[in-house]
Amino acid sequence: MEDYFSFTADLFNPQKISSKPEVLTGIRVLDFTHVIFGPTATRILATYGAEVIKIELPYHGDLWRPATYWGKYWKHSNPLWHFVTQNKYFVGLDLKHPEAKKIIYRLAESCDIAAENFAPGTAEAWGVGYTQLSKINPQIIYLSCSTYGQYGPLRFYPGWDLLAQAASGVLSLTGYPDTEKYYKLPDYLGDFIPGNFGALAVLMALYFRNKTGKGQYIDLAQSEALMRLLYHFTFLHLTGRELGRTGNVDPTMVPASIFKTGDGKFLALACVTEEQFSALCAAMGREDLLQNKLYQNPFERLKPANVQALTKITADWLKTVSLEEVLNLAQEKGFPAAEVLDDWQICHDPWRRERGSVILFKDEIYGEIILAGPSAQLSKTPARTKWIARPVGYHNRIVLKKFLGLGEEEITALEKERVIGTFDDRPGLKPPIYYNLDADPIFNYGREVRQ
Amino acid sequence: MNKKNGQEQVYARYVASGKTIEHLTSWGKTLAEMMNPEGKPEVLEGLLVLEASYANFAGIIAASFLAEFGAEVVKIEPPAGDPVRGVTPYGENIKGIGIPFLVEGRNKRYITLDLQNSVKDREDFQKLAEKAAIVIETFPAGQMDSWGIGYRQLQTKNPGLIYVAITPYGHYTEKGQKFARFPDADLTSQAGSGLPAQVGDPINSPEPYNWPLRAGMWAGWYISGLSAALGATVALLYRQKTGEGQMVDIATMDAYTCMVGFPPTIGFTWEKARPRIGVLDFILYPYGMWKCKDGYVVIAAPRDHDFRALLKILGLWKLEDDWRYTADRIPDVIEQAMVLYKAIEEKTLQYTADELVRKALSYSAKAARSKWRGGGVPIVMKMNTPATAMESPQFAVRKIFEEIKDEELGSLLINTNYIKMSASPPRVKWISCSLGKDNEYIRQKYLQKD
Repeated sequence: MEDYFSFTADLFNPQKISSKPEVLTGIRVLDFTHVIFGPTATRILATYGAEVIKIELPYHGDLWRPATYWGKYWKHSNPLWHFVTQNKYFVGLDLKHPEAKKIIYRLAESCDIAAENFAPGTAEAWGVGYTQLSKINPQIIYLSCSTYGQYGPLRFYPGWDLLAQAASGVLSLTGYPDTEKYYKLPDYLGDFIPGNFGALAVLMALYFRNKTGKGQYIDLAQSEALMRLLYHFTFLHLTGRELGRTGNVDPTMVPASIFKTGDGKFLALACVTEEQFSALCAAMGREDLLQNKLYQNPFERLKPANVQALTKITADWLKTVSLEEVLNLAQEKGFPAAEVLDDWQICHDPWRRERGSVILFKDEIYGEIILAGPSAQLSKTPARTKWIARPVGYHNRIVLKKFLGLGEEEITALEKERVIGTFDDRPGLKPPIYYNLDADPIFNYGREVRQ
Repeated sequence: MNKKNGQEQVYARYVASGKTIEHLTSWGKTLAEMMNPEGKPEVLEGLLVLEASYANFAGIIAASFLAEFGAEVVKIEPPAGDPVRGVTPYGENIKGIGIPFLVEGRNKRYITLDLQNSVKDREDFQKLAEKAAIVIETFPAGQMDSWGIGYRQLQTKNPGLIYVAITPYGHYTEKGQKFARFPDADLTSQAGSGLPAQVGDPINSPEPYNWPLRAGMWAGWYISGLSAALGATVALLYRQKTGEGQMVDIATMDAYTCMVGFPPTIGFTWEKARPRIGVLDFILYPYGMWKCKDGYVVIAAPRDHDFRALLKILGLWKLEDDWRYTADRIPDVIEQAMVLYKAIEEKTLQYTADELVRKALSYSAKAARSKWRGGGVPIVMKMNTPATAMESPQFAVRKIFEEIKDEELGSLLINTNYIKMSASPPRVKWISCSLGKDNEYIRQKYLQKD
């Protein structure tokens, strides 16, 4: 029989991705979301083939457009925004204008999904909530994302990733015991993880609609999505104690911590099973630990004093070996270990490039950029990046023309009345300075443009 | 809180604005109907999911999500049980079952099959897989294949099968092959995908506080499990349309990287790694936790007008000129950012958390009433721990915690109802998860000789 890894290499061959089918072809999403939480949910739909029409306020755009790390722009764009807004259609539409409402309602007729993450009540008040859109299109699936949810006493509190981390209790868990610091989950993880739950909920609703013909309303609160990731509540209920902060030690297994190796590198090492613990003891030349009564039973071994002792033994051993030696021993004997990797290492890791979890993407406007790939690799209907972020209103004309069948004169009139619009001359909103939009075929109604 | 002066007035002004009574009633009805999942249909009803994860919570978690959406999830364990039954904080357990396993045991069936040693049990697995929509497994890459029950073999008899594999380095690529047998853990997934490198104090702080720091929760395993469930659901939609299954491959070393996407792009555009910056932030500021008189608060006032509002309510307006520009508030010079941090801290230490929250709310109320929209919404909140979160009326109304009774395990409080859906919400039905408890049921239902 063919070698297993030749079989899988062919199954997941990155060269073949662009010729494979997309699951969500023909699914249209009306996307009112902004910043990270909502846009992450719709980004996932877009990478699986949905037509996501992102509505922004003309000349302002999404709040996150200008907000890059330490104010460092890349080609007049926010480099971090490209990942979150890939494959989307960018429409600048001023909802205050009655004509704009008409356009939204016409789009809603042909949309399968709508999504928003304003403060609860806002979308309803603006006339683009579930109540209004479901009247136009009863089969619509409508995702509302918020920090605390659409009902309950805190519903009108505004929120960010940080507030969700604080409300859910997540923020209180990272740090060292008996210190005065609580570290955030980095990189707005409190938006990204709930955003993925949003995509999961929408896909489930789509599966349900395909079966029953029924649309529905989804109320997703990011603080609640984060709470789903904690076993801490059950621990508290059973023991009456808070787990609190435990520094680098994972209290569920032993040893499990981040250590420093003899050559000054940082390494995560954790033993999940008895076999892995034995393997580590063998690697350390400390088989005697297996005979020690304190360490024989897994529950016994996890008692705080034993955790402390075993963590110290492991830390002392790791000071005497190099990172490479430990990783080789982990591979040979069979215990989990991994170097603590930083941005640069992840960006340049050949394994991730070969796998497709970090990709070098060539964009027609921006040129080459390195982006994260999908979290899950699918053999038949893989996720893919087709284009990255575009200036505000870049797809106005093509969307109105192709999706709604408006004529070019009608579109020009809407532009004149400022019902639709594009970008101000600000980084994050505008195209790269070298780029000539007038010669761009997509921006110009999708027609060929003479260079 | 008094409705007249409270947050309702600030943020409800849109909803309450005239001519919308009928509309509000309709919306209120929609929300009221969402408050209880019971009695509503389940999305994945009638779908069989085999969860053959071993020594890896990512597989268990992925299956839990599908179980909450109504799939019949059968966990397959060796006769000695999945070793992660013993993974639990400080060894706390009920009848030999650890807390994380109890929490993620929801809505599942439990059967023992010795895939490792018994040819007959592999045959039974094969029979179950013929009837299944999804198989989830976390064995070494190629292991199931060598037992004759991998994706390659199972798909011949069940072309609609979705096969989800979870390993540290995935089921393809050169490294995937070389490290096929490499075991997985939450902490290695966090570290290998770039999370701890971003947490901890700046490099010139004392050890160990300047070390990379783990997230104090299973960020690696939960992200991997969520990614697996999401990938499986995408595959389910394709199966619904075409009848075809496929393979879904998850590498836990991708978890954080592919969830947030920042590390590879910053490595590319900045051409170096970000340093650790303690409790500061590198895009939004002020945005983090501060110590106050009686505990800790979080403050988020990142937009220009929010920041100015914060200066006003803390009595720091004299600083406005120095910190006018966003870029000055998020400098890549940590010392500069710390000056602002300390200035705010000096003030927060003078007030209790409740005082600070009230100051921010009453400011926002005034700003919202003003015709001039530039007033800002500085947000201040008291930090919750799991214990205080459990006391919050918000989460009580939303039924986030349920105490579920089980004959064998007793009464257990678990987190649930995290997605509200009007027609087909996820839910928890039972928590029992004893080893092999459904051996009879599964054999009766799926393994009867025809």
